[in-house]
Amino acid sequence: MPYVITDACIDVMDRSCMEECPVDCIYEGKRKLYINPAECIDCGACEPACPVTAISLDTKVPSGKAEFAEDNARFFEEPLPGRGEAVGAPGGAAVTGAIGVDTELVSGFGGAG
Amino acid sequence: MNHETDVVIVGAGPAGLFAAYYAGFRGLSVAVLDSLPEPGGQITAMYPEKRISDIAGFPAIRGRELVERLLEQAAPFRPRYLLGHRAETLEPGFAVTTHRGTRITAKAVIVAGGIGTFTPRPLPAAEQFAGTGLAYFVRRLDDYAGTDVVIVGGGDSAFDWAEALHPLAKSVTVVHRRDTFRAHPGTVAAVRASPVEIVTGAQVTKVIGHEAVESVEITHGDEAWTSPCQRIIAALGFTANLGPLLKWGVDVHNRRHIPVGPSMAASLPGVFAAGDINDYPGKVRLIAVGFGEAATAVNNAAHFIDPGQPVFPGHSTDAGAS
Repeated sequence: MPYVITDACIDVMDRSCMEECPVDCIYEGKRKLYINPAECIDCGACEPACPVTAISLDTKVPSGKAEFAEDNARFFEEPLPGRGEAVGAPGGAAVTGAIGVDTELVSGFGGAG
Repeated sequence: MNHETDVVIVGAGPAGLFAAYYAGFRGLSVAVLDSLPEPGGQITAMYPEKRISDIAGFPAIRGRELVERLLEQAAPFRPRYLLGHRAETLEPGFAVTTHRGTRITAKAVIVAGGIGTFTPRPLPAAEQFAGTGLAYFVRRLDDYAGTDVVIVGGGDSAFDWAEALHPLAKSVTVVHRRDTFRAHPGTVAAVRASPVEIVTGAQVTKVIGHEAVESVEITHGDEAWTSPCQRIIAALGFTANLGPLLKWGVDVHNRRHIPVGPSMAASLPGVFAAGDINDYPGKVRLIAVGFGEAATAVNNAAHFIDPGQPVFPGHSTDAGAS
């Protein structure tokens, strides 16, 4: 039951949530941040930190944004475009640094990519 | 300093505290270590004021109160608490040494380490004043008497300390980067109604002083000002990771979880894991589940220590302790 980040984050990437996360499980794509469902401990510290209210529990994602709950998991579980291996659960965003790539859903979102 | 005990429990969160009770109930001497200076683990560090509604027998209980009751439940067995001690190394047989050099020998080890060792987030502007004005925890309220205190952060700890300190400090200012607070709204309201000054959307950008803190620079947008200050409390939350535990020779998955079997035994005989830190198919990470795992781990540890002892402890109702 992890927290997820929806489209409100796209091209905003404020990163306040990354400063709050006690387990460093929020990773940077190119246009958006993603919460690793295998590493999130459901503490909720990130939710009020987001200036654009992009974060919610996966069971409370606003209607019409359910695809972003799945997309958060996809970012980690499937190889991202141009990468051979899935990100998986590397043990913290500090370990990987910015990933710099988005899922197809996000990179093609709103035509801005 | 050396201690000898039957069972050493690593982690003083809910699973570790209940394991301490159970070890006592089994007639085992017990020591409980935690890197944080207070017991309660994630509850104390992250949500002491939240109401927990899925503890059996308690329709709702505040986090802080649950921790108090766990301590009370274990107290008759006099567990030895080593708080502010990070477990560093594990020697086979067993001995756990903490980062402060304390060594505890034990016949079995229960790892109830949750998400790992908590490290307070640093306040870079004040780092050089660690111990001479900067603190991450309030240990003694009297240390703040008559001083100008600046608390950085917006969580429960920041507001609890503001509430506790303003009656004896000369002044208390809470500085928070955002306009919203993670702290319990009731505590925020109490602090707002007190003489504490709350500055939001602001940061402590500079700390001024020679040997000790004398003043701080607070920046709010384009505006910056200097306030007298002798004590800074950085209450910016924590990060956590398993850290030293990864080198204990116990299998760890994904740098996060210790796989266990049905007896809560880890890969090293005599080492058991309970609570959020362990993993098995179907694992549910809840306090309620951690309590059961703590009981299973300790009772199997009792049998490991003395195979003549059964795994089943007998019923607490028959134990004479009313």
